[in-house]
Amino acid sequence: MTAAHQPAPRTAAPAPARTQRVGAVPAARTGRRRGPRRQPVAYLYLLPALLLYTAFVIAPWLHTLELSFYRWDGVTAGVWTGLDNYRQVLTDPKLTASLWHALGFIGFYTVLPIAAGLVLAAVIGRARQGRNFAVSRTVLFLPQIVPLVAVGVIWRWMYAQDGTVNQLLDAIGLHSWARAWLGDFTWAYVAVGLVGSWVMLGLCLVLFQAGIQKIDTSLYEAARIDGAGPVREFLSVTLPGLRAEIGVAVTVTVISALASFDVVYVTTGGGPGDTTTVPGLLIYRLAFTGGEVGTACALAVVLSLLISLVVLAIGRLTRERA
Amino acid sequence: MPSSTPTPGRRGPRRPAPAACAALLVAGLVSACGTPGSTAANSSADTTAVSTAIPTDKVTLSVLSSDTSETTKALSAAFEKKHPNVTVDFRFTGVDSYDTSLDLTLGSDSAPDLALLNKLGNTAKAGLIRNLDPYVDAYGWDKTVSASELGQWRADGQGKTLGVGKLWAAPAGFSLVGVYYNKDIAAKLGIEPPKTLGEFEQDLAKAKTAGVLPIQMPNMQGQSSYLFQALTNTFQGPGKSTEWAFGNPGSTIENVSATRAAQQVADWAEQGYLPSGANGTDGAAAMSAFTKGEGLFMFDGNWDATAVDKALPGKAGFFTLPGESADAPSTGVGTSLAYAIPSKAKHPDLAAAFLDFMTTPEAAAIEFGSGYMPVAQAETVKTPDNSILKDYAAAWAAVAKSDGLVPYFNNSTPTMNDTLTSQGQQLVAGKTSPADYLKALQDDWEKGHK
Repeated sequence: MTAAHQPAPRTAAPAPARTQRVGAVPAARTGRRRGPRRQPVAYLYLLPALLLYTAFVIAPWLHTLELSFYRWDGVTAGVWTGLDNYRQVLTDPKLTASLWHALGFIGFYTVLPIAAGLVLAAVIGRARQGRNFAVSRTVLFLPQIVPLVAVGVIWRWMYAQDGTVNQLLDAIGLHSWARAWLGDFTWAYVAVGLVGSWVMLGLCLVLFQAGIQKIDTSLYEAARIDGAGPVREFLSVTLPGLRAEIGVAVTVTVISALASFDVVYVTTGGGPGDTTTVPGLLIYRLAFTGGEVGTACALAVVLSLLISLVVLAIGRLTRERA
Repeated sequence: MPSSTPTPGRRGPRRPAPAACAALLVAGLVSACGTPGSTAANSSADTTAVSTAIPTDKVTLSVLSSDTSETTKALSAAFEKKHPNVTVDFRFTGVDSYDTSLDLTLGSDSAPDLALLNKLGNTAKAGLIRNLDPYVDAYGWDKTVSASELGQWRADGQGKTLGVGKLWAAPAGFSLVGVYYNKDIAAKLGIEPPKTLGEFEQDLAKAKTAGVLPIQMPNMQGQSSYLFQALTNTFQGPGKSTEWAFGNPGSTIENVSATRAAQQVADWAEQGYLPSGANGTDGAAAMSAFTKGEGLFMFDGNWDATAVDKALPGKAGFFTLPGESADAPSTGVGTSLAYAIPSKAKHPDLAAAFLDFMTTPEAAAIEFGSGYMPVAQAETVKTPDNSILKDYAAAWAAVAKSDGLVPYFNNSTPTMNDTLTSQGQQLVAGKTSPADYLKALQDDWEKGHK
């Protein structure tokens, strides 16, 4: 995210952006005046974190990058194949389909929970004090605390032929709609996506509730005096006030959508057919059961590039508006 | 969970192992810089002299396994009893993380003396396990164990073609897939265990007419492959199916018999002979439904026999899918729980002695008692009357007699299980044609055996 914080001074920035920068620039200048900025000893403080980060993040990632140029079964000696693995990732219909599935999950992991979270936060967020607030927040945050594997197992039971979802449909007289949801070619993708929505909703809601508490109450009073109804108030006060939180929520949920693995693996395993395969699942299969570590690494590299690009774009979008 | 005994070739409820993967990635990636794989052991230690003598001083035999049944543990206990100076150190790993970490463990300094193999994969090719042929000669396993049963763990040097070449693992018990049936429902419908495939089809129609689900079947993990393979074996005979499963060059599944089999599966699904929600039902749910009386037949393996026997005491039976004529040879789908001796094993001779113990009548009783078909001496095993186990023993004997055991198609390539699962779900849902189904299988096969 460091790139996102570097201002782009060449463009004529709009007024709000400039006021924000005013605070940052003098601070940097005063820092420079007070003494040499580059004290070598400062890097020593960074060293432990840097070592750990290099050992467990940077080095494995570079090695993944290296492996992506080999054809390697994971055991015997690998063969250099240049860009072949990447060619396969971008042309094999199964692999490209998984990338599209992941992109589609953004609708379920990001758009739905953020929309629902905003509405819920606006409705219950105003009742800030009291026991109910704490209880509702805890309940709604629960999906974030439960391990995703457990979430997957629970939903697998609920979606089963004689599971809760079908019992509910039976109870309201929609027996003909009942089906084994995770085995249905039309509905399995939606069913899995909705699990993601459920998981992400709690996160969005807690973020937005915290954000709403930060908004100056005088703004609400002013809006009310100007005759704004609840909808106008939401659009003119709450929504702009939550811009930063929405930015965080979008970033986190989009990453979850693109890198999804646990829920899909536990609920459908990519089925029925290949309707719910995601890159995370195929990387696992290629590397650990298929003996195609090189292709797995290439797919992993493509996925991480895609995620980085999307996150950069989100960072840029939210910054320009701020 | 009653059906949680993973067996080679059988897809149990899948448990993810993200932590194990992460650990493995880190371990693998940090250790292997430079050309990937160059650190793997490549010397196959099959030239050393072997001995059938068992040491008399205190010694520990370490066994690495993903066997959740009691079989290996019970065999270990019996072996310890027979040789009081031997301690068996049984190390268990869940089946999913087992396969993904096995090769790394075998190549490490903490390699065990015996390791369960769920599949041959690249393990032999990478020189991680010993060629067992010297022990076959020393113990005479080729005389005690039938050739087709040992053949499942024979492979050429590249590990691509199975059934011929060196022996890489020895069986500790076999699985057998066939047809379970509910005796109560069968009696109500006036059905006897069918003698021919024609009779079997008549029974299906009879059940359907009476409003009974003819075949209970989960397909979330692709279990429709049992149905497809049983039919294929029946149509083309065990020999041709085995050739394909072993990866014999020139073999193909895009043939008349397999097309009939795939068509039959698709037709049965369309006619409502299979549960409509099969693709969204897992093995445990289907077995629970079967024991509650939902379904006349169910294609399943012996790993569920004990649980079914408990849930439906005296009311569940078993047979292997009959041939087109009454005198056709018995065929069944199955493979063995098999153990290999790693190249880095510290006590290879003792490990081989343990493998030899698996062929004794004493071991046969243990293997059968814990849900496996015995490696040898099957005729010495006693079974309770009127139990599904008795049917199983009879079916196993018939399959062994006609040399009709066919290995799982699922294990024919590392990715075949995934392909069969995905394609089988499409076939049952009418989303693919039998021809395209078989083409996808053959494509996977070609890729895995090139």
